[in-house]
Amino acid sequence: MRPTNKNTMLKVVILGDGGVGKSCLMNRFVSNHFDEHSFHTIGVEFLNKDIEIDGETYTLQIWDTAGQERFKTLRTPFYRGSDICLLTYAVDDKVSFRNLSMWKNEFLYYADVKEHLHFPFIVVGNKSDISNEEREVSQIELESWCNENGICNCIETSAKNASNVQEAFKMAVQYWLKAESRADKNEYSCNDTIDLTKKSGESRSSCCIGATEE
Amino acid sequence: MKDVIKEKEEQAKAAAAEDEDEEKIKTIDEVSETESPTSSDSEGDDKSQFIACALNIDIALIFPIREEASLYTFHIFISLVINTVRCEMLRRMPKHSASELSLNKDLPMKMIRRKSLSQLTFRGLKKEEIQQRNYLTLINMTIEELYIELLYVIIHNVGHCNVSFEIGETALFSYIQDAFKISNEKHQELYDVASKKEPPNMLLNVEVIEAKDLAPKDPNGLADPYVTLYLDSSTSRRYNSSVKQTTLNPTWEEHFALPIDENAADDTLHIEVWDFDPAETVGEKFGKFVNVKGVKGIRRLVKEIAVTATTGQHNNELIGRAQIPLSAIPATGMKMWYSLDKKNKVTRQGVIKLRLGFSSEKNSKVATQEHRHLLRILLLHELETSKVAPYWWCGTFSPQAESLITQHVAQSGLCPVDTALSQWIVYTNIHKTHPLSYDLFASILEKLVKPVQTGLLSEEDQKLFWNATHRLLPSCYAMIRKIRKTNFKEKNALKQISRVLSILGTICVLDSSENIHKDLVEAIRKGAKDWFDHLLENNTVEDDSDDAKLKCLVKIVQLVRTDLQKAVEYYDKMFQEQVNFQYARNLYNIYQKKLTELVKPDVEEICTTMAKMPHIGYQNYSQVDTSQPLTIGTTLFELYLYLQRFVVLGDGLCPFEYDSFEIKDFHVWFYSGVAQWLNIAFYKALQRIDKAVGLDQLIPVDNTVKYSSSAIDSISIFYQIKIFWRELNWPDVEGCYTFIAKIIDDICRCLVHYATQMAKAVEGMGDKQDMYEKKFEVTQEWCLAINNIDYVLQSLVPFTVELGMEDILEKLSELNSPLEAQRCQQTLETVIANSVDTVKNEIFNLLDVVASKMCPSMKRLLVEGAELFHQDCNSVDRVMMYLDNNLHTLHDQLNEENFNRILDIIWDYLNDILLDLIKTNLEKRRPPSFFANLLETLKLMKSSFRLNSNCECDKLKKTERLLYLNGLETPDLIHQVHLDLWKEQKSTEEPSFGQLTVKMKFQGDELKVEILNAKNLVPMDSNGSSDSFVRVHLLPEEMFTNISKPKTQTQHKTLFPLFDESFTLKLSPEQRNRPDGLVLFSCKDYDMLDYDMLGYNNQYIGEALVHFKDVPNGSGSVSSLPQMSLELRRPQTLGMHTFKDVPNGSGSVSSLPQMSLELRRPQTLETDALKALEFRQGDKQAKEFLRRYKMKMAITKS
Ligand SMILES: Nc1nc2c(ncn2[C@@H]2O[C@H](COP(=O)(O)OP(=O)(O)OP(=O)(O)O)[C@@H](O)[C@H]2O)c(=O)[nH]1
Ligand SMILES: [Mg+2]
Repeated sequence: MRPTNKNTMLKVVILGDGGVGKSCLMNRFVSNHFDEHSFHTIGVEFLNKDIEIDGETYTLQIWDTAGQERFKTLRTPFYRGSDICLLTYAVDDKVSFRNLSMWKNEFLYYADVKEHLHFPFIVVGNKSDISNEEREVSQIELESWCNENGICNCIETSAKNASNVQEAFKMAVQYWLKAESRADKNEYSCNDTIDLTKKSGESRSSCCIGATEE
Repeated sequence: MKDVIKEKEEQAKAAAAEDEDEEKIKTIDEVSETESPTSSDSEGDDKSQFIACALNIDIALIFPIREEASLYTFHIFISLVINTVRCEMLRRMPKHSASELSLNKDLPMKMIRRKSLSQLTFRGLKKEEIQQRNYLTLINMTIEELYIELLYVIIHNVGHCNVSFEIGETALFSYIQDAFKISNEKHQELYDVASKKEPPNMLLNVEVIEAKDLAPKDPNGLADPYVTLYLDSSTSRRYNSSVKQTTLNPTWEEHFALPIDENAADDTLHIEVWDFDPAETVGEKFGKFVNVKGVKGIRRLVKEIAVTATTGQHNNELIGRAQIPLSAIPATGMKMWYSLDKKNKVTRQGVIKLRLGFSSEKNSKVATQEHRHLLRILLLHELETSKVAPYWWCGTFSPQAESLITQHVAQSGLCPVDTALSQWIVYTNIHKTHPLSYDLFASILEKLVKPVQTGLLSEEDQKLFWNATHRLLPSCYAMIRKIRKTNFKEKNALKQISRVLSILGTICVLDSSENIHKDLVEAIRKGAKDWFDHLLENNTVEDDSDDAKLKCLVKIVQLVRTDLQKAVEYYDKMFQEQVNFQYARNLYNIYQKKLTELVKPDVEEICTTMAKMPHIGYQNYSQVDTSQPLTIGTTLFELYLYLQRFVVLGDGLCPFEYDSFEIKDFHVWFYSGVAQWLNIAFYKALQRIDKAVGLDQLIPVDNTVKYSSSAIDSISIFYQIKIFWRELNWPDVEGCYTFIAKIIDDICRCLVHYATQMAKAVEGMGDKQDMYEKKFEVTQEWCLAINNIDYVLQSLVPFTVELGMEDILEKLSELNSPLEAQRCQQTLETVIANSVDTVKNEIFNLLDVVASKMCPSMKRLLVEGAELFHQDCNSVDRVMMYLDNNLHTLHDQLNEENFNRILDIIWDYLNDILLDLIKTNLEKRRPPSFFANLLETLKLMKSSFRLNSNCECDKLKKTERLLYLNGLETPDLIHQVHLDLWKEQKSTEEPSFGQLTVKMKFQGDELKVEILNAKNLVPMDSNGSSDSFVRVHLLPEEMFTNISKPKTQTQHKTLFPLFDESFTLKLSPEQRNRPDGLVLFSCKDYDMLDYDMLGYNNQYIGEALVHFKDVPNGSGSVSSLPQMSLELRRPQTLGMHTFKDVPNGSGSVSSLPQMSLELRRPQTLETDALKALEFRQGDKQAKEFLRRYKMKMAITKS
């Protein structure tokens, strides 16, 4: 009867070139399922998933976008109001790695975020399961790119063998928490937001109906 | 000489334009060009040729060709005749189609007639002479000569029953004098010349067409009629038609030309219909006629019949006759039925249809040339005097001119084709400077079609015809090009276009090699392009803003579409019918290219910049001026819609080419704009929601519903988004799907926004402040606010359906794959479910606000109630009343779901309040009665207000227990601690401090206890052994103060003491029946150094508790008691455990099984009962109990 969803809701968008495995990442994370022969995403896909961090549950509203160029006009409207952005590439695809800057810029351009500097970007190098011969982007390259771009969170994942997938999302939320607390300190208020996914301060920290346990 | 003409003409028509002059010269040139070969070529003059041919026929027929004459000669002869006859027929009888003139069985008869005609009309001039004269006439023809010719025509007026008579010579003279701009003297001079000229040689042309209802003459009731005709003035010269066998309704269609003289006005034409005498020779002949085979046979037959016919040597019977005075025949000719009479017979003998007309034997070349000049001069004069508007003149001259022309035609022996061709040539010429009606051209052309089509015009005439035609074509094309200047509402204008097309169509048919079609397409294209350019020029952008640019485009698209519609509505059919041309389709093709070129770049640019526009941000949607992007967006959308309509038109018009049209993908240009439209729609919606909330009076829209105006407004706001979506009718399926996801997400945000605004709107409502207190009462407004959100939420799912989700998914499934469609469906469903959840949360939040607002009052009332419980029962009533009132309102106003929700929330809050009250009031050291009172109130509320969910019940139960414990007096509370220990002992898995074996039973009111032994006791002394004894207590202590607490002997230095002692404790029935009574076995180590037996100076080993209910009932000696092995424990925590070993039943104690009890020690202070005790700081008993309790625990720890 009573809505169970009293958690903090976070809007997550996953960006990256077509075929790097965004949809696979999401599906692995949400339903722990991997489909070898997935389709290119049409426009956007959307899923919900709860994640627990430090005893607090967060509901992630995950918008998986279509990486193919022809969908650009369709995906960009969904950037707005995001709390977290996963920039993904495939470690066996150098081009997708080079495109990270493009994705970051596209996101900032359309997302209407207030503080570019501290926005929680997470760089995800997917398909880490591939063999060394196939690998085109090294971990070092990834780290140096992140350094250059002021992003302090990166992780290599594999949707295929499920390695680091949960961790990637967890990391994202943790980073968001950090960014949020910094924003709070800066008295960075967005109280009159109507964007439900972007609740600030007290309204965000769960609407537990004041049922303060003992 | 040309100059002469030129000068004169210039004089005559001072106002003539320059190119007209050129035209005049050209006319003359044409004439000389066409005429020049005549001088050398014997076939140049049709008539002379005809005459010559006719002569040959004569020779051939009259002097029978010898048998040995070659067939070849005959063949040539026949073809010559045919050609000649054809030419002549064409001149005289234009109504007859070429087919009639082709070689058929009637032909020999015709040849015969020609023979007689030519014989009679030949005036003895030599062929060369005629040619010479013609040539000179044509070369030397001047205005004056033409004038003289006209005067001559007037003087020798023929056909005595027409306008020229009524007008009179004088009027005509002055008219032409005027038209030709001739001075009086000159006129007189020229008149003299004309009157001296020999009168014209005229012919009466008779066509015997058919007869009907003839009187039968033969035995078989039929007749074999033929016609004889002659003039009064020359009765001996008779003309006979062919004989039509056995019919009373014969058709002849035969032509005769009868020469007439100057006294023709008094002459009469006689028509006689005869029945052919069935004399065997002639009969044979006709019989043969039918059966004739081969060229030779034809020749012979023709000859024989010719002889018979011309000599009139027959003995036939007259059927009837008619007389026609020549004066009754108009100059223009006529066609009429005449009755046939017979002397002394009253009854009609039948009717005969004749065509009668005059002609001259004037040279037709000269005549036509004259005629053209005449037409030209008269028309120019006509136009000058009548001031007829361009494109209006359609062939009607003034009566004078009309009569002149008719006379000239008649006297010059011009046939209709001649006149028509003359008109065609002259009018097309004049048309260049003074446009004439296309009606006129169309009707002239109609007369020329067959002659031209069948190639019956002479080569020169053909040439003239085409020259003239080419003169006309440009103006036709111009007409098509300027089709948009025609006022299509005016009937005549449309008719003109139709005529132009009809002309073009006809010309096209006449000569398929003419590039009419190509030129027409070119004209249409050029016209369309010119018009389009004109549109661009006249619809320039006012300022440089995007909006102005878009507005301009909208206008152009609109105008183009209107033009197309006009094309479809007014012209398309015309074009298709007249020139077999798909006008609208071609036009569409041109326009779609043009529009694409024009619109695409601008739209794409504007869409891109629009997408780049700084985002308005969800936060400050209300402050940001959305008007600018809003207007651009709106105009852009308008453009989109117009293009959409344009494209739809194309789909209908050009089903085959449609797929190749670039414009069909026009939506792609708008791609990046759509997202912005959706944003704009979203912002608009937000602003409107604000307005709707602002206007909402928070009263139900009517008394059957429980929501107010803003709910309805909000739904209609969403509805508008749906309308927008419908109108957008986005063709791309993948885009549709994604945009729908976006719309649903946006709508969800709108709903949340609405909820927030609604909450703000009711914020301060229901708060009451009187002199004593601040109070909140649930009001209708609050309930409406909640219902509103709920109501709008209810519309969400139907709304998504109405967006056409199903349809899109179906298409996706077809276009991509069912699996992908399924994924998309899943996404949409998740988005919707997410939205619903989110909004439900919003509702929940609002319910929560209401409930929380009730809290202070509830709390205060509860405190008051608890404090004053026993003194004043009203105070409890007040809580109840407060709750009751508010819940009542909520129940009435909210739907069941929300009511149940808020009830849960209220209980939740109540629980919180109670917990809070317990906490704060414990600190305030309220007496147990306070809590007991609260508990009473809670129980009352529970019974009054339904509780819904179990989880809340659990929470509440805990609170209830807290209230219960804190409401207990101290001894009861202590006992509660023991009970907790007892329960805990049963459940704990902690290691014990030894086992105690006992037997016990109730016998009557006596409790018999037998303590057998203990095992595995923890060593308490330094030597690793113990000196243990067991004491039996009954609890609660207060209950059993009169009962001594028996104790066993101390068993020294053993961890396995054997006690084997029995006790009987005598209880009162009341004590015995204490439901929660406990037996406590306390095992201690006897301390030699300390003799204080009362205290706990003896070392505490552990204890075990047995509940009264676990003690069996029975009779018999103690020795038969069941043994119990009791674990020695110390207090630990609360828990549940069933005591399995407890025997149940009666019988002697000794027969009962032993009880093995684990000895334990107290372990925790964390029970509610202990905590409650802790709060009783001022209570000695509590303090003492706790001190001992803690000591027991301390032993464990040490
Ligand atoms: N080896 C390997 N393959 C993967 C992994 N993740 C995804 N793939 C494969 O990569 C392909 C593309 O994966 P998707 O998740 O559909 O890619 P996407 O980024 O969503 O692509 P778009 O929807 O077009 O943007 C699929 O064939 C997957 O099987 C991975 O971790 N390891
Ligand atoms: Mg994908």
